[in-house]
Amino acid sequence: MDVIFHLLIMSGIYIILALSLNLVLGYAGLFSVGHGAFYGIGAYTGAILVTRFSFPFWGELLAAACIAGFFGFVIGFPTLRLRGDYLALATFGFAVIIYSTFVNWIELTRGPLGIRGIPEVQFLSIQFKSLWSYTILVGFFVLITIFSLRRITHSAFGKVLEAIREDDLAAMAIGKNIAKFKVLAFIIGAFFAGIAGVLYAHYVTFIDPSSFVLQESFLIFSMVIFGGMGSIRGSIVGAAILVILPEALRFLGLPSEIAANLRQLIYGALIVFIINWRPEGLLGKSKDIKIEGPISLESKVNAN
Amino acid sequence: MFLQFVINSIIAGAIYTLLAFGFTIIYGTLNFFNMAHGIAYMLGAYFSYVCRIQFGMDLPLAVSLSTIATALTMVLVDRIGYFHLRKVNAPSWALVVSSIGVAIFFESLISMIFGSDTRILRIGEATPGYSIFGAIITQDQIWILIVSGFLMIVLSIYLKKTTIGKALRATSNDTEMARIVGIHTESIYSSTFALGSALAAIAGSLVALQTDVFPTMGQGALLKSIVASIIGGIGNVPGAVFGGFFLGFVENFGIWELSSSWKDAIALFLLIFFILLRPKLFGMEQEK
Repeated sequence: MDVIFHLLIMSGIYIILALSLNLVLGYAGLFSVGHGAFYGIGAYTGAILVTRFSFPFWGELLAAACIAGFFGFVIGFPTLRLRGDYLALATFGFAVIIYSTFVNWIELTRGPLGIRGIPEVQFLSIQFKSLWSYTILVGFFVLITIFSLRRITHSAFGKVLEAIREDDLAAMAIGKNIAKFKVLAFIIGAFFAGIAGVLYAHYVTFIDPSSFVLQESFLIFSMVIFGGMGSIRGSIVGAAILVILPEALRFLGLPSEIAANLRQLIYGALIVFIINWRPEGLLGKSKDIKIEGPISLESKVNAN
Repeated sequence: MFLQFVINSIIAGAIYTLLAFGFTIIYGTLNFFNMAHGIAYMLGAYFSYVCRIQFGMDLPLAVSLSTIATALTMVLVDRIGYFHLRKVNAPSWALVVSSIGVAIFFESLISMIFGSDTRILRIGEATPGYSIFGAIITQDQIWILIVSGFLMIVLSIYLKKTTIGKALRATSNDTEMARIVGIHTESIYSSTFALGSALAAIAGSLVALQTDVFPTMGQGALLKSIVASIIGGIGNVPGAVFGGFFLGFVENFGIWELSSSWKDAIALFLLIFFILLRPKLFGMEQEK
């Protein structure tokens, strides 16, 4: 039974992460490959605030989400002018730097030793001590995230984001300040990733830099691609499948280290497969995500 | 002390140059940031490790075999991961995503086979270094300088003089035009991949002579290749050489004051700076 609760909690955390990245990647079409950095910032901020300054849960959650959001602004603002693939480079670099800050800024993060003894959540005078109660708490935040993102993507704001993804020149031409929209998407995405970070920190009660390596960012990234960019349902299903699937590998009786790597290997292969053969992902709409470019002179020459 | 920093910078620069050279020609011809470039570096080191330690080959033979094996692997990767996307004329982000998948795949494959602990390519004691005015340079480092210098010279002649080199440059300049004049661009793509990955593999094997080999070593290498080639103007070969040495110097002189664990931070700072301002040092950057 504990395993099921564990899986539900982890799926919940990753659903929040995948949804928040989906806003940036799927809706706004901004190639952020370093989403794990915001997750890590949220987790560390929460852990530091609660262990050193004994913040109440809601204060800590809000502070962590806002600081993650602030970093979303810091990385989003200067990189706005960049074309898609340059943005991927910049966010890749950002994730590397945040990771090395976690490792190196020992006074704040205790470096590779990590932060221990993160207490359980006390919220609305309820102690979330048992696994099932924590599952409910995570579920509550998942619902909030789904609800907010649904509202956001169905609003005028969301439509502008999609317009930017499709054709930013056209969006600009109808008078939209595309820079502002892009930064906002980044900030909102980072904000929710920060929330996921706090939930994670309280769940495992011990965090160290190894939880926020680059693979973590890639994992979130593959969840969005797998589920389908620009599809909320897709991100939920994608995150849940990619969290639960590796557990199936356990039943094959593989040693845990090999199972962990096999999991990554499958993710990698999945990304290559999906982007080549089903770019709209599991549940995306094929009209939204196209990988076929305009027919160029090249292909005409080829055809003849 | 100053001279020691200069030597360290030059050696780091030589490695970065090899990496950036490959990264930049792949970008130039295939037009995407190959996020799996670090994989070639890592595979090079591991293949060398297998040949050298497990099969007991001589070092030059081991490195050569490993380079060829890496190049072939990456050509195969190109067929599986990128060929289809090229055929449908996909935007470059799709290729970037695919290359991220490739990177994850190989990193975990190698961790599965070799475990995540570090390996050492060197056999026996480290060779003593030579002292030049108080600065120390080891034999391995001299080899790094010789091999990379030699490769750079050979490659620049190759790109300038040979027919394949010219075809490669033509494709990188204007793919459609290259096709029209009868260059078989697909084979140019394959050879670019082979060449770029071979250089990264050699860099990996050379670095492995002095440091550890581990599955995630490619991530740092990827960061360095990106930074060095962005500094020099992506797609620009002389720029990559300059960028490699520039990065080597800035990094090594930067850690004179800071702790050495901030090396990556310095590289990132340069990356952000150059991406944002894109000062056109070489004035040849191709906007595509």
